[in-house]
Amino acid sequence: MSMFDYDARPVTPGVVLVGATASRGGYAIRDFLSRNGYPFEWVDAGQPEAVRAVLGAGEVEPSALPLCILPDGSRLAAATVEQVAVGLGMVAAPARSEYDLAIVGAGPAGLGAAVNAASEGLRTVVVEAVAPGGQAGTTSMIENYLGFPTGISGSELATRATVQARRFGAELLLARPLTGVSADGPGYVAGLSDGTLIRGRAVLFASGVEWRRLDVAGVDDLLGAGVYYGAGPSEALACTDSRVVVVGGGNSAGQAVVRFSRYAQHVTLLVRGRDLGASMSQYLIDQVTAIPNVEVRVRTQVAGLEADDRLRAVIARCGDSIEPVRLPADALFICIGGAPRTDGAAGIELVTNAAGYLVTGSDAANDAGGSWPLAREPLPLETSRPGVFAAGDVRCGSVKRCAAAIGEGSMAVALVHRRLAEVGGE
Amino acid sequence: MVANLDAAVAAEFTELATGEQIAAAAAALERNGIRPLLAATGADARELVGSLLPDGAEVYNNTSQTLQAIGVADDIERSGRYQPLRLRLYRMDREMQGREMRTLTASPDYAVGSVHALTEGGSLLIASASGSQLGPLASGAGQVILVIGAQKIVRDVPAGMRRIYEYCYPLEDARARRAYGVPSGVNNILIINKVLTPGRVTAIIVNERLGF
Repeated sequence: MSMFDYDARPVTPGVVLVGATASRGGYAIRDFLSRNGYPFEWVDAGQPEAVRAVLGAGEVEPSALPLCILPDGSRLAAATVEQVAVGLGMVAAPARSEYDLAIVGAGPAGLGAAVNAASEGLRTVVVEAVAPGGQAGTTSMIENYLGFPTGISGSELATRATVQARRFGAELLLARPLTGVSADGPGYVAGLSDGTLIRGRAVLFASGVEWRRLDVAGVDDLLGAGVYYGAGPSEALACTDSRVVVVGGGNSAGQAVVRFSRYAQHVTLLVRGRDLGASMSQYLIDQVTAIPNVEVRVRTQVAGLEADDRLRAVIARCGDSIEPVRLPADALFICIGGAPRTDGAAGIELVTNAAGYLVTGSDAANDAGGSWPLAREPLPLETSRPGVFAAGDVRCGSVKRCAAAIGEGSMAVALVHRRLAEVGGE
Repeated sequence: MVANLDAAVAAEFTELATGEQIAAAAAALERNGIRPLLAATGADARELVGSLLPDGAEVYNNTSQTLQAIGVADDIERSGRYQPLRLRLYRMDREMQGREMRTLTASPDYAVGSVHALTEGGSLLIASASGSQLGPLASGAGQVILVIGAQKIVRDVPAGMRRIYEYCYPLEDARARRAYGVPSGVNNILIINKVLTPGRVTAIIVNERLGF
């Protein structure tokens, strides 16, 4: 046995990813591997010695980047997330021809539902576009979740929940987004991006939200090149001694600030509102405002970006001031609320509010006009389609907190039972 | 970095134990509360480990040339049959989750590793630079499985200490410098003479030269 367990990293070979540091494709794969907890080594294509060590040659054709070397030695040139997922055997076929409950999204609401549904004997499948955990999975430390007095990271909570759901027999199909849902008798059929079809007697949308886009020129061009949506869990180490700007006033922004302050030389938090109290938990406000290398700028918005091949500075406009402020920055993390992920629901025309969140309960029947087909009203978390439920951040009126999402996910299972009893077979 | 080993030392500590020595060590282990299992080859040992680890078990595999050589490290980390703690630790943020990482490594359900010496009297000797592996082996882990190449069997504890200092340490120091860019050190030594919980520790003695 070795005497030195240096960093407790896996001892078997992981993925080697060669790419340009400022690269959208490279970042997408880094983010995917990181969020799935898959070990990888990032090699900067601009460092000939490092490239030679893994490829045997000091240069690699730019068109071949990002180049991914899988653990079995096979290479994927100009690799995509989908190719890497397939290459790593992460894409499994569903084991059953029909499920009692198909859950869309493996964030806190989806995993909460999966654990409860599977533990109660429902044939349960969860489909997830990227990785278990959802937005909460990228949170470095949740300190107000019941039962974890010293806090738990979003990824660890997701890992534990995934193990728990699988232990009860739930299936998780990862790395494939939902492309559509259609009616199939009293149930539904969900289609995934690789053509897989999932038949579910009931469907639960727990698809959460994605980060709202920052409407500033140049943001899209710099994604992965210093600009990131969310807390960018794969990027924390790369921020060592750098200057970081975080935009947003919610808990995700606060948690990102606390995490990056451990690595970065300086972190600036830009908040559009007058203070942090409007949308951030007090415990996080206390932490953020007490960290010496963190500066909070309220009533401040991003007005522009300065960049060459990567981000160099954020131009911010503060309050009523006419003169913008230039903040030198190596990385910008955008954590500004969310937009509901309901693309896959388009085929069944669920009722949403003006912002796109799924309407549930009696409001769903009212808003649907005369299209609600049953004599009874929709159940509390039921959408405008019988047997289609919504829980967590994607649901109109939900409390945007991890604990609330988990609670809704488990509550939805009780309602699913009622629906299944209604259509028979339970 | 290549270790400079005295040829006589290398010869002494790489020679496979005889059948009698293996039998003596196995019998002594049993007397000491450690379950001995014998394997003719590394492949057999791999199968034995697989039969001892239940599906879905939470497993911490120590850094071990032996486990890597016979494929056990691969089975634990990549087969999907278990919950490999190393993968969970990998995704944790050292700055934010140090406490969680410490508790996870200290008390796995199953710890799988090897030793630096096994005496004919049934004592197990394990050296460590950081000490992190030793607590779980002594008491933190629910179950301990140790895979031991038969060249690690020595006459007694003094011979085991010589094996650690004169043979294992130079090789391990070279490995640590290559792998991590830092030196190793015999900073902690665990000697397991007796185990009070029957069946908690299993020692698989393999009749092959495995690890160092």
